[in-house]
Amino acid sequence: MKPTPLSRAARSAVLAIAGLVLAASSQAQALKLGMVNSLTGPHASFDLPASEGVLMAVDEINKRGGITVKGKKHTFTVVSEDAQSKPEFAVSGAQRLLRDDDIRVIFGILTSGPGMAAATAISKTDVLYVGGFTLLDTLLGKPGGELMIRTLNNDATVAKSFVPASVKELGVKKVGIMLPNEDVSRSIVAVYKPLLESNGVQVPIVEYFQPDTQDYAPVLRKFQNQGLDGMLTGTNDAMVEAILRQVTELGGLPTKFMYRGGSGAPALKYAKAVEGFTWQILSRDIDNTSDPKVKAWVERYKAYTKKDVSPNTYWALTFYDTVFMVAKAMEEVGSTTDTKAIAAKVKGMQYEGVRTMRFDKDGRAQSDIDIGMLKGGKVTSVRASAQ
Amino acid sequence: MDLIQTLLDGLMVGGLYATVAIGVTLVFGIMGILNFAHGQMVMLGAYTAFFVVSAGFGFWPALVIAMFAMGTLGLLLERIVFRYTLTDHMQGLTASLGVIMVIEHLAAAAFTPDPRNFEPPLQGSFQVAGLTLSSQRMLVLALVVVLVVACYLFLQKTRIGKAIRAMGQNRTGAALVGIQTSQVTAVVFVLGSAMAGAAGVLYGSLFAITPYMAAGPLMKGFILTVLGGLGSVPGAVVAGFLLGIAESLGSRYLSASFRDGYGFILLIIALLYFPRGLFGQRGKVRV
Repeated sequence: MKPTPLSRAARSAVLAIAGLVLAASSQAQALKLGMVNSLTGPHASFDLPASEGVLMAVDEINKRGGITVKGKKHTFTVVSEDAQSKPEFAVSGAQRLLRDDDIRVIFGILTSGPGMAAATAISKTDVLYVGGFTLLDTLLGKPGGELMIRTLNNDATVAKSFVPASVKELGVKKVGIMLPNEDVSRSIVAVYKPLLESNGVQVPIVEYFQPDTQDYAPVLRKFQNQGLDGMLTGTNDAMVEAILRQVTELGGLPTKFMYRGGSGAPALKYAKAVEGFTWQILSRDIDNTSDPKVKAWVERYKAYTKKDVSPNTYWALTFYDTVFMVAKAMEEVGSTTDTKAIAAKVKGMQYEGVRTMRFDKDGRAQSDIDIGMLKGGKVTSVRASAQ
Repeated sequence: MDLIQTLLDGLMVGGLYATVAIGVTLVFGIMGILNFAHGQMVMLGAYTAFFVVSAGFGFWPALVIAMFAMGTLGLLLERIVFRYTLTDHMQGLTASLGVIMVIEHLAAAAFTPDPRNFEPPLQGSFQVAGLTLSSQRMLVLALVVVLVVACYLFLQKTRIGKAIRAMGQNRTGAALVGIQTSQVTAVVFVLGSAMAGAAGVLYGSLFAITPYMAAGPLMKGFILTVLGGLGSVPGAVVAGFLLGIAESLGSRYLSASFRDGYGFILLIIALLYFPRGLFGQRGKVRV
């Protein structure tokens, strides 16, 4: 029997509909991830690489075909907001993300000013927030902080790795502590002084100075002729560089330093005058690594961002592995929206990414870090376990 | 020994404050304007030195170029802005606040807020009579003394210096005896700005250079202007050294957390006993 035009049309329509259904079922559904970071302003040096880490991880997951949740494929798209290094913009950015019901996870912010503002807004919701800034620690494990994760180790955890490694590498026996007169310095002393002492180091002098000090000579004089062989100082590069500069000018001061900070830049200029300088690389040493995982990541980073690594690139690793952890948790939980279950899964997971990542029950990172070292004019690093 | 070292540290930093304060007090003495933009000259002087030294010309050409450049900028500001605000001190003060904003933001946009520094001509320390002294700090102290003495001699011995002093005492009287007040006003701006430029170079040879570095020296400059006696150059210099010593001794033997507070304590005590400042005599004799 010859098909009539009507039956031909009906058959074509059925085939077209079937094709559409098949295409729709095979095409991965895009899940929105929120990201709020200071892409401009003075904090951009941290947050811009951090945002690249998130985007890079998402790109890699998508290129693998996304994630499979209950047999259904999902890819990710990132909705990004610029906090502009200001708390008010961090809040408005976070609120814009929160107004989008499809966004169930938000990443971002490494600095406490904008970070606290955004986290406070997010804490009132059932959205999972993954941040990195120091004061996030004060929210974790408390009501409103159940769905929060801090993907950088806190001071106490870092110090447990940093102090023994620095004491061993620098060979110090008697150390003075010199820090700006800020709340964070008091907490640094509370953590680091007992740790130094438990590692066999005497700490006879702790001095706080006015935070906007430019002339450190009077306070440095207190450290002269004390028989010190090292100093612990912080808390930012500009300050520590000024201190090092004036130490080399004044003479009679120890030239081994432990820097409670994340860069070797303050010491590089004074490499010849400084006997030893250690600093905290809270993710991975990008510049002087022999770790094949890190080397491979650096190549992928260069290919993805089309730029070379810089001293701040390592912040990109803050969120990179955590994006994979959240994705894995979604697969294992079998949900992309049950943020309580996803958060619990992430907190209970050990993940071997570029970093070895795990969290405690409250969401505090317990990850291994690298310790940067300048000794004899040469920059190296050692891996320090979180244990 | 430790006390002497600390005193020398105080003299050095106090000399820097005094170099800034001289410009502030000269402009105030002549024009009655508290020129807040003076601190920006310190900052721009430091950046000038940074760029000149980075270009390989060394510290000494940087010092000369920075003084010349800031003197020229001071002249421009006087001709373009401040000569039109002479009759209204509040307008002059407001204009200087505007100039601060413009220069500071331009500097932040052009140079970025990242701290900079340049290689000083002397490095390290030396031992003398059991003292460990910083070579560059001692050089800065010597240069400050040279600048202050040169400025003082200029004001005391030269014809234009005498005209400046005459205007400081009585502007109308000076005009009546034939002093070209507008020219003298310009010279004061040039001199004050060149001193600020020199202070900037000396600051930059020791401390970090940023677009926002002007606030500290400027605040100290104003404290010294009041402490020394409004319009008094010797007063500003003596007050500068006193402030530096007070800060150094306080930071060394008491608490370094309270460094800027010592200057204000000194100011309050001094003003209790010398209400017109250390060298302010019945509000008449200035400069």
